[in-house]
Amino acid sequence: MKRAVAVVGVGQTHHSSRRADKSMPGLIREAVDRALTDAGLQYEDIDAVVFGKAPDQLEGVMQPEQFLVGAVGAHLKPVVRVHTAGSVGASTALTAVTHVKSGLFNRVLAIAWEKQSEGNAMWALSPNMPFIAPLVAGAGGYFTPYIRAYIARTHAPGHIGPMIAANARDNAGRNEYAHLREPMTVEDVINSPMLWDPIRYLETCPSSDGAIALVLSNEELAKKGPRKPAWVLSGATFVEPMWVPGRDQVDPAAGRKCAKTVYEAAGVTDPWNQVDAVEMYVPFSWFEAMWLENLGFCEIGEGWKIVDRGEQKFGAHLPVNPSGGVLCTNPIGASGMLRVGEAALQVMGRAGAHQVDGAKLAVGHAYGGGAQYFSMWVVSSALN
Amino acid sequence: MSKLRNVAVVAYSQAPFVPCDVHHTSTEMLYPEIRKALAACGVEREAIDYQVAGSADYVDGRVFGFVAAVDVMGSWPPKQDLHLEMDAGFAAHYAWMRMQAGDCDTAMVCGYGKPGEGETNRVLNLQLDPYYQGAMGLDLASTAALQASAYMKRSGSTDRNLAEVAARNRAAGAKNPDALLKDVATADELMRTSWQVEPLRRGYLAPTGETAVCLLLAAEGKAEKMCRKPVWIQGVDQRAELQSLGARDLARSEGAALASAKALEMAGVKGAAEVDLLELSALTPAEEMILLDALGLPPLGNRGPVVNPSGGPLAGSAIMMNGLVRLGEVFRQLSGTAANSVKDARRAIAHAAQGHCLQQNLFWVLGSERRWS
Repeated sequence: MKRAVAVVGVGQTHHSSRRADKSMPGLIREAVDRALTDAGLQYEDIDAVVFGKAPDQLEGVMQPEQFLVGAVGAHLKPVVRVHTAGSVGASTALTAVTHVKSGLFNRVLAIAWEKQSEGNAMWALSPNMPFIAPLVAGAGGYFTPYIRAYIARTHAPGHIGPMIAANARDNAGRNEYAHLREPMTVEDVINSPMLWDPIRYLETCPSSDGAIALVLSNEELAKKGPRKPAWVLSGATFVEPMWVPGRDQVDPAAGRKCAKTVYEAAGVTDPWNQVDAVEMYVPFSWFEAMWLENLGFCEIGEGWKIVDRGEQKFGAHLPVNPSGGVLCTNPIGASGMLRVGEAALQVMGRAGAHQVDGAKLAVGHAYGGGAQYFSMWVVSSALN
Repeated sequence: MSKLRNVAVVAYSQAPFVPCDVHHTSTEMLYPEIRKALAACGVEREAIDYQVAGSADYVDGRVFGFVAAVDVMGSWPPKQDLHLEMDAGFAAHYAWMRMQAGDCDTAMVCGYGKPGEGETNRVLNLQLDPYYQGAMGLDLASTAALQASAYMKRSGSTDRNLAEVAARNRAAGAKNPDALLKDVATADELMRTSWQVEPLRRGYLAPTGETAVCLLLAAEGKAEKMCRKPVWIQGVDQRAELQSLGARDLARSEGAALASAKALEMAGVKGAAEVDLLELSALTPAEEMILLDALGLPPLGNRGPVVNPSGGPLAGSAIMMNGLVRLGEVFRQLSGTAANSVKDARRAIAHAAQGHCLQQNLFWVLGSERRWS
């Protein structure tokens, strides 16, 4: 028996590089209280809580959800903690979906967060593994070679990355919760310092403090709620190994498989024309062009051309990251849930100034590890 | 309770339990167990729909430790997957839930980690809230001692009682080839060990070691084909409590009482006294007594169902794996493959816990028979 699951509440914090005004529990409460208010619910209406965040070393607390139990009213409730690297926010939302879909829980609260100002992400994300030379300086150092491979394969011109970054910032200007909202031009991006060639300073994601919470509900209660829910038509999390012959980190097999799986389950046959908005995980500018291809919105080599023609801009054919995305807001563990939560807001018609006009079908996507973990969902304004 | 899907444990494999394996990484330890579990079912990796693991980055001493495990779990071509930053016993619970959701029919659950390369007792200080409790320097032994004191005061239990519980576990562990400590220790001997933190003596604390475990789950229809004697999940529930030690009555475990009652209710079993044996993730004798008390059983574990025939964590604790090991040990008992076999055992309870002072508890009720017809 297939049970329908819906997003009935979305709440996020205002994001910034340092939310010194709030403790970790305080930051989470800001998101959770907004999500519950949004859903018209109280803490006692929640049957289980699923937490997600990236490595505990980012804040220096092991399994911090254990001390956060009280802050979210989870005493004597089932509590789960997910960690699937950068994709964790999206896989946390999907774990909550499974809880409801099992029929054992009516409403589940999903929470994803990161308070990067409590630690040093550059340090935490440059692991010195035994027997492996410490050549990688943060995530940018890891992913740059694949961006270069993408450019070499597709002969994409150099201005594509800066175009993506400037567009993301333009989008974030319409999102009151985004971390970086100051306008910037393609010229500004090109003039910013080169970090990992071809990625410049203004083409990278920031370090943010922030949290997001979603309330997932079964069909019956979702239909009784005060607002129009977002129906989760499908979702999946796929992984591939770090070391295996034939892996392609420019166009990862796990990403392709994940997209194919969620489209099939949601009845999407032509994503480019059927999907109204997509929130995808773009930590470095070029990944927007790469993921347009990997997620099946276009053929290989066509992703950068979509950007060049501006067809992924707000108000154009397929708005990509109308919220501004990871390039403007990156509380790592929360970034994936912000993607799937923003997709939900679009089909609920409640994305505010960055609402895509008439959005009925949206895709949320996140990835993590060495381009190994892929987590996606398709949400719709209608159940059928 | 509405009708659920019958799901069974169909295979379990555990690596040799050692203090610290300096010759292998955690994934090198895990890989052979995955192969053995699949071989026991006569299937290849492609027969498994879903994979889920439980581990903690702080136990591994590095970020994204679990990503390496993906490489030995047979994740190519890409597989549906999840990783929980929890004891791997909770990962098994999630796999079961996915089967209830109809998302898969078979699942592989893995637990791994290298606690022997760090100082678990000190590392677990970082699990406490960083503002109040963590800053006091409390470690696992000191919070466990606070709980033991509270329980002894309430129950009137003595130092000798704790020694007897520890000795019973050690005697059972001596019969389990997969235990870390395989030598018997009497209550008198354990009572002569020095205080770690009073009222807990060194002999009462779970010794930390390393192993790796793989457990396979399958839903009805597939389980019977993969295993001669599948062990059916009849009930399961988990509950978390507040972490703050001052906010809980440490002499009791409200969460364990609630989770076990819910699991027994799902299983249609009146009480824990109706099972033949229990495998409990107790890190001290006092924790075991508190758990038995929460289950309504005699706290010394010397009457009623057999407690920890594997020796339990007091004969070897692999942090973040203990819960999955307990589930695996119950599988061995009910499928007739346990070394220290409990005669005619047909129903059992397995328990996982995490956090300080039994903060979060998971209970399974398992049996030789299917729960739902």
